[in-house]
Amino acid sequence: MKLGRDSFALAVALILPSVFCSRALAQGLDANALLKPTPDSWPIYHGDYSGQRHSHLTQITPANVGDLTLAWAFQTGQATQIKSSPIVANGILYVSIPDHLWAVDARTGSQIWHYTYPANEGLHIGHRGVAVYKDSVFLTTPDDHLVCLDARDGTVRWNVVLADVKQGYWTSVAPLIVRDHVLVGVSGDFDNIPGMLKSLSADTGETQWTFYSTSQPGTQGSASGGATGGNMWITGTYDPELNLVFVGTGNPTPVLAAQTRPGDNPWTCSIVALNPDTGKLVWGFQATPHDTHDWDAVEIPVLVDGFFNGSPKKMLLQASRNGYFFVLDRTSGKNLLTSAFAAVNWSKGVDKDGRPIHNPAKDPARDGRLVAPDEGGATNYRSPSFDAKTGLFIVSSRDAFGIYFSKPEHGTVGWAGADYGVFGKAVLRAIDYQTGKIRWNHDLGGEGAAAGVLTTESGLIFTGDSVRSVLALRTNDGATLWHSAIGFVGNAPITYELDGRQYVIVASGGALFAWALPEHLSGQARPQ
Amino acid sequence: MPRSFFNSFRLSRRIRAALAAVICVTALSYAAGPALTQEAPKEQKQGGQASPQGPKTSPQPGANLPAYSAEQIQAGQALFAGQCSFCHGRDAAGGEGGPDLTASELVAQDVHGEKIGQVVRNGRLDKGMPAFAPTDEQLATIVAFIHDRKAKAKEGRRRTVDVTDLQTGNAEAGMRFFNGAGGCAKCHSPGGDLASIAGKFQGLELLRRMLYPEERRAAGPAGPTGQVPTATVTLPSGQTVTGKLAYRDEFTIALVDASGWYRSWPASQVKSAVTNPLEAHAELLRKYTDEDMHNVLAYLQTLR
Repeated sequence: MKLGRDSFALAVALILPSVFCSRALAQGLDANALLKPTPDSWPIYHGDYSGQRHSHLTQITPANVGDLTLAWAFQTGQATQIKSSPIVANGILYVSIPDHLWAVDARTGSQIWHYTYPANEGLHIGHRGVAVYKDSVFLTTPDDHLVCLDARDGTVRWNVVLADVKQGYWTSVAPLIVRDHVLVGVSGDFDNIPGMLKSLSADTGETQWTFYSTSQPGTQGSASGGATGGNMWITGTYDPELNLVFVGTGNPTPVLAAQTRPGDNPWTCSIVALNPDTGKLVWGFQATPHDTHDWDAVEIPVLVDGFFNGSPKKMLLQASRNGYFFVLDRTSGKNLLTSAFAAVNWSKGVDKDGRPIHNPAKDPARDGRLVAPDEGGATNYRSPSFDAKTGLFIVSSRDAFGIYFSKPEHGTVGWAGADYGVFGKAVLRAIDYQTGKIRWNHDLGGEGAAAGVLTTESGLIFTGDSVRSVLALRTNDGATLWHSAIGFVGNAPITYELDGRQYVIVASGGALFAWALPEHLSGQARPQ
Repeated sequence: MPRSFFNSFRLSRRIRAALAAVICVTALSYAAGPALTQEAPKEQKQGGQASPQGPKTSPQPGANLPAYSAEQIQAGQALFAGQCSFCHGRDAAGGEGGPDLTASELVAQDVHGEKIGQVVRNGRLDKGMPAFAPTDEQLATIVAFIHDRKAKAKEGRRRTVDVTDLQTGNAEAGMRFFNGAGGCAKCHSPGGDLASIAGKFQGLELLRRMLYPEERRAAGPAGPTGQVPTATVTLPSGQTVTGKLAYRDEFTIALVDASGWYRSWPASQVKSAVTNPLEAHAELLRKYTDEDMHNVLAYLQTLR
């Protein structure tokens, strides 16, 4: 997202107190650095607040990407797959898996420190990453704690409870820092519990507010129609000018059985715009009204300023798990475009507000329903990327079919049904955001979803295929320019430049791989 | 391109889960990412679901199931919650895509964890479940928890699909679709490859094989033949090699040739053509109505 001068001034005014605070910390990452990330950093999950996962670095180009070489690798020594997006600040790279956080020299890959969280019974399904602010690192834990560590040495400053693991919550999200707010969502759809997004003080961990996407326990009447769920388990995005945080919400519970939750079930499977200072809902848009297929709408809400139908617009773009691509006016939540980007057979079309129309005939049933996409979705947590130059939204997608079952014996708690994948085909797709049309497809060679996506200003895409390679593609047409068969890429790539050398970081298995041009070439490419 | 499927599949949060419980509903399967690297957790205070008794009911081979202590079951519950419950459910009765272990044939046959342990330690990569490395003690607690849940599972298992659930189709209409609009008869015949198919596979397994029959799933009896993609590679010399497709990505093609040897080539240096008989199944998924699907299943069920 490009910030206008006015918005920047406004943002600076808003964050002045924090700037003063951080002056004393020569090496700290202040709020200004989050608003305008420097090329030597990747300070936010998405690289910046916009969620575009687009870098302005240009040392690695379509012409020289074939010369990429391994600069370093970092082995966690753990069998657990790295799914997180590393954070880079002050020359230090922070990478996590459940219960583990490493600080690594971003130049060399050598370990600086390693923090291990005590064994716990929270779900260890994955970890998305950490957040860094001033001289602290914020780590969520499977058993729903937020731990604040000293970014220098990994010592614990404080540790607060976000939710009750015994109720069925777990936490894997990478927090989003907005000024002194640490925004953290939780996970959990095996129990009928409400989705929560919390704001905590970056200094003390004290809870500032909690946003419930479905009815808060103990409240009378239910705007969500009896649904619980709607967990916010992916990092949102932020527009400093509008002072709005945008977050996707998860599926309702019970998941596959919907008899106890009639209606649209707001705000599940939705994109919500919240005031980060109060947690109040400003607007919401439901990607899947009355979901019965586990299609979270948590996918990254990507913020783009550009033209739509000839007029300048502040937009929000999302490729949603239900197979639809949405363009919204992010000032109001009004829909500008809805189009399918993958195989979809579950809706009765799109309503006047741009929302797909629920088709009861495709609800899970005793004898099974053949549904596209499958439960894993047309896309999932892996970040997409937006390239402003080409106007392309690049997303790892799947054309996939599953069969969905539910019967009264399955009950009305948690999953409340059964579903099975049948077939899928993974394709990287470039969507023209102004029309929703697919500009090109790149076959990823497998059935399962592949990696997240990074684009760079030189016209490159970095991602992984569904087989075992990290890929560099040309943004214009999706042609493969480079690859390395390091194994399946489990995260979304990031990039930064240190000492005049651009690094691209991807994870495979329990290791990080840092790619760069050979030193003599990166020296030549260095701006004089 | 089946090979790639599991690789990618087991690594994603939910994709793998969606397909993890493959044909063998009764199999113990796990599809989450992390390995059991934790120390055994401390005893949990809360009583909850733990039982001081061993399993009360035991299926045939496991008639002499050992009794498990409440401490073991509680420790197992904690490990299971952290590592297994995403796919198999916290109560082991099925989660996101993972099978209901309380209805699992493998669990039913397991006595001291030999069978469960083998699956946990080796994984079931072909079904999206990675291998785990628990200590013997940790594994014993997980086994204790699973057996305890099985013993407590009530009739009418919670998240299973029974054969009786799938009897809504019309066999005659299914036969018409098979021979007509579905195009199934182009490759299959009721007296040939599908002869007595309903004797080999039932219920959900038959349905899933009908929709997309993948050979890698075929741990049990062999399914209809002719489902393995074949590749023909033309070398720069003009020589051609034909065999079972063994590997393919953007950069490499490999096959197992007539003499049984694996051979691979850079995709850019040879010409290759792959014939995948399963493509027709993938295409049909876009055409089936739910009624068609149930009708064809009903028809297949008559082929005994």
